[in-house]
Amino acid sequence: MKSIQEMTQAELCAFVQSHLSEAGIKVVLSGGASVSIYSDNKYVSHDLDLVNLYSVRRRALKEAMTQIGFSEVGRYYKHPDSPFLVEFPPGPLAIGAEPVKQVNEIKLSTGILRVISPTDCVKDRLAGYYHWGDQQCLVQAILVAQHHPIDIQEVQRWSEAEGNLTEFEHIRAKLFSDRRQI
Amino acid sequence: MMLQPLLGSENAERVLIFILARDEGYATEIARFFETDLSGIQNQLEKFETGGILVSRSAGRTRLYTFNPRYPFLKELTSLLEKAFSFYPEEIREQLRLNRRRPRRRGKPL
Repeated sequence: MKSIQEMTQAELCAFVQSHLSEAGIKVVLSGGASVSIYSDNKYVSHDLDLVNLYSVRRRALKEAMTQIGFSEVGRYYKHPDSPFLVEFPPGPLAIGAEPVKQVNEIKLSTGILRVISPTDCVKDRLAGYYHWGDQQCLVQAILVAQHHPIDIQEVQRWSEAEGNLTEFEHIRAKLFSDRRQI
Repeated sequence: MMLQPLLGSENAERVLIFILARDEGYATEIARFFETDLSGIQNQLEKFETGGILVSRSAGRTRLYTFNPRYPFLKELTSLLEKAFSFYPEEIREQLRLNRRRPRRRGKPL
């Protein structure tokens, strides 16, 4: 297997997830790193947000991460041979007020990458845009929508359920121009 | 305290009720309002932030906390808190609602 130093972001993530899974800890990649993966690295994030699905205790996480050479620095985990920082946001795995129902599994040489779907990734970024007006989040949502097939109806339904249908209508053209659709 | 048996601590309820009533709050004003120990309130705020229930931002030298709009159970949590708040004595509810956020010129007499 590749050394940690040689691993790409996705490979490192799969490696960490597979190791944690063996220790009975289930985590799913969300946040900015999922944007990197679904935008073919047009957006670069050095944070790996691995959502702690069942709120495993910090001590268990620390023990498992230490076994593969990571050390805890504040709320992050850092490896001396990698530029990426791993964080474990608390569960449940949700986009807005709704649970995530589909998790994609991608087999890599370093393990199995478990990541939210491209459609959920767009919704996740839009949640940041809707709630905080974060323009970077909107740009990231657009990047993902341009690089992967997205279920537009689902994004619209979710936006409405979150009370943001008007905002969705405003950005719809921007979000789904020059994109692949389901 | 109305929800202490559920939330597990007085400070947990104090923090959530304060932020419910005022939309935001910082440790010193919450501790001062409830006339309690500052470090206990600070610890509770940090716990709620770590748990994704609250988010914080810096405002000068103060760390201001609000509910995390992305917390998946926010609607249900605030419903519960509102119900609990309605059981608080009128005097405390009024005091919590009194919330001067608009500017006051420095040195102006009260």
